[in-house]
Amino acid sequence: MADITVTMNGKQVGGPAGITILELAKQNGIDIPTLCYLEGLPPTGSCRVCVVEVEGSRTLVASCHTPISAGMIIQTHSPKVLEARRVIVELLLASHCGTCYMCEKANICELREVAVDLDVGVPRFPIRRRFYPIEDESPYITRDLSKCILCRKCIRACNEVAKKHVYAMGYRGFDSKVVVDFDEVLNKEVCRDCGICIPYCPTGALSNPQKSRKDKKGPPLVIKG
Amino acid sequence: MPEKRIVLKNCGVIDPRRIDTYLQQDGFKAWQKASAMTPEQVIAEVKASNLRGRGGAGFPCGLKWEGARNAPGAEKFVICNADEGEVGTFKDRYILQNDPFSLIEGLAIASHAVGARQAYIYLRGEYRFLLSQLRGAIRQAKEKGFLPHVDIEVREGSGAYICGEEMALMESIEGKRGEIRYKPPFPTTQGLWQMPTVINNVETLMNVAPIILNGAAWFNQIGTERSKGTKVLSVSGDVAKPGVYEIVLGTTLKELIVDLAGAKNIKLVQIGGATGRIVSASMLDTPLAFETMLSAGAITVFDETRDVIDIVHRTMEFLAEESCGKCSPCREGCGIIVNILERFIKGTATPKDITTLEQLSSAMMLTSLCGLGQAAPNSVVDSLKYFRSAYEERMKKVEVVAR
Amino acid sequence: MTNKTTTLSKNQKLILTLLQEAQQKTGFISEEAMVGIAESLGISRSDVYGVATFYSFLSVQPQGRNVIRICKSLPCHLKNGQEIIESLEKQLGVKPGETTPDGKFSFTLTNCIGECDQAPAMLINDDVHGNLTPDKIARILKTYK
Ligand SMILES: Cc1cc2nc3c(=O)[nH]c(=O)nc-3n(C[C@H](O)[C@H](O)[C@H](O)COP(=O)(O)O)c2cc1C
Ligand code: FES
Ligand code: FES
Repeated sequence: MADITVTMNGKQVGGPAGITILELAKQNGIDIPTLCYLEGLPPTGSCRVCVVEVEGSRTLVASCHTPISAGMIIQTHSPKVLEARRVIVELLLASHCGTCYMCEKANICELREVAVDLDVGVPRFPIRRRFYPIEDESPYITRDLSKCILCRKCIRACNEVAKKHVYAMGYRGFDSKVVVDFDEVLNKEVCRDCGICIPYCPTGALSNPQKSRKDKKGPPLVIKG
Repeated sequence: MPEKRIVLKNCGVIDPRRIDTYLQQDGFKAWQKASAMTPEQVIAEVKASNLRGRGGAGFPCGLKWEGARNAPGAEKFVICNADEGEVGTFKDRYILQNDPFSLIEGLAIASHAVGARQAYIYLRGEYRFLLSQLRGAIRQAKEKGFLPHVDIEVREGSGAYICGEEMALMESIEGKRGEIRYKPPFPTTQGLWQMPTVINNVETLMNVAPIILNGAAWFNQIGTERSKGTKVLSVSGDVAKPGVYEIVLGTTLKELIVDLAGAKNIKLVQIGGATGRIVSASMLDTPLAFETMLSAGAITVFDETRDVIDIVHRTMEFLAEESCGKCSPCREGCGIIVNILERFIKGTATPKDITTLEQLSSAMMLTSLCGLGQAAPNSVVDSLKYFRSAYEERMKKVEVVAR
Repeated sequence: MTNKTTTLSKNQKLILTLLQEAQQKTGFISEEAMVGIAESLGISRSDVYGVATFYSFLSVQPQGRNVIRICKSLPCHLKNGQEIIESLEKQLGVKPGETTPDGKFSFTLTNCIGECDQAPAMLINDDVHGNLTPDKIARILKTYK
């Protein structure tokens, strides 16, 4: 069924028309990091960690939403790509809360994992954190938005999987925030149950208050610094 | 003669509230001619004219129309981008204020060519004072029978620069947050409500009626090899005569800002507003054309008393405020650039900060989701190129400490 | 894309229009107005709030009877913009982002309003005022109730 052929990292590979660069890479065992991509749901293209180099393109392109086209010459791990990914991860870390040692999900944190894979240390940028109080009124979900990287997975999970429409994006620019109703604290009134969104969250912004300390899967990931 | 009036020919001549004054200036003659042509013929004429989009990217107008015409879709739309949010531009406002009819005629022709039965004019919230005159002009054109094939609706913005970007603009017309959608798919195949959509700047559409009336060959005589026609530019800042100028493409920057607008002691010029380029006084002989450095129609002049870092800092502050926040490089990066520039203003910067600025700029340009983030570091990059000493002078005096 | 989702999303185009109407009518968008919009369009409150907080001309906080937006962008700044902003601040007796105690004026800084040929410039409600000087501002303010 391989009806489109492209060159990926110097090798000829093929896949059906309509699939994305990321999907093709996966099929060929090439691992491109992602933070906002959700298999089976429409991409948002917001984190930009999945960028790759496509010959002839002025910019890098996000692999999660760019379909393959015939003759594309793609580099998924060129020095240019890796450096761009590092900058993005450092930008996210620069506004991330920075208390990994206390974080419930430290050992399954996707942001940490991507940072480690890219060999990212302490961000080279001035630190500008977003501070929000921890929301622990709901018995199902604890929300700490200072750890949120605005990937919008929780919004999509709530809308498309749970079909509850509790979350939405609010405000603009750096102040963007996942809001509940009129920017209220997540509590029993607005979000009744389910907690479907928790495993979708790539960081510790959403966690399960009951399962405290049980999310640990392996030894802690260490960020160089 | 660098000045020539094609787009602005009726400005100050007609009464923008009365269609009969427009009809006296051959108004809607082009529409009558176009409506007797097939859509394909109209597109062929616009393609042959080599008209390029005036909204910033300079994309060939005829190709865009053809793309939307040929794309499958139950409905098609034409949108006029009147969001004009770029710092230092006011030419679209001047046009809307003085000659709304030519724009409506251009929209009527575009809708005929594309096969759109619904067209929108997206007017920025700041220009609400123009709303009733614009709606009045549409009503009069309809009453006179010039809009048998299309409904033109004016939609208002509400204070968001990013809604000038075509994808965000369509989200906004759909009633949503003005956030960027990724491309592809492009608007010509999946635009407004996923239908084929043409989106053109006000000034682009203003060129359509003269092209249909006088022919592509006439239009091709004006301008440079790759930029045909005229360009309307908004000149502001340290000039004696700020205002709107229509010049033949290829006119030099010097002819515009020195000869026409009366600038003196120029230090630098920002071309294209906050996302535009910065050029130094030594580059005034550059011709203004799409192949050189023209984007949006803003020309802001700064004289020798101005501080480069302050200019770049304010530019970046603007972009940080106006970033939609969807993609991480732009949302986080703009503000971080502002913070680093503040170190230069305070005198606490180190040589490492220049490196960081360069690395961050490069990554933002390569990875951002839309033109805002991709062009946001332009002023940083250009100022580091032409005015690097301004940065170096502002660095912390390093003391050598023995360890 | 099915026809059903098309009509549904076409219905949602009213969110922004309805929010703009509420803003025009009462000077800000109240929670009741947002609840009404959410219910009439069949969408969540969060989604309505998300749209309302994206646009800088929409406000979910009560505003004064007249809203002053004075331009702080570069072309205005070059024409004494800073002084003019300070003068306005003094004349109103409030800082940017605040409302005068009598509820007459809310005052905010804004980005380029497309009047740079008449810099410095400001908007009061929908009206444009250009070539501002401290005296001119005093005269203009008197004409608003
Ligand atoms: C951040 C950003 C802001 C923009 N603002 C405007 C604008 O205010 N007016 C405009 O016509 N085009 C603007 N554009 C360009 C539009 O995306 C689009 O290219 C243009 O409307 C197409 O029309 P044209 O082909 O007639 O130039 C902007 C682009 C970007 C990236
Ligand atoms: S995974 Fe592609 S942009 Fe986030
Ligand atoms: S800069 Fe103030 S109106 Fe343009």
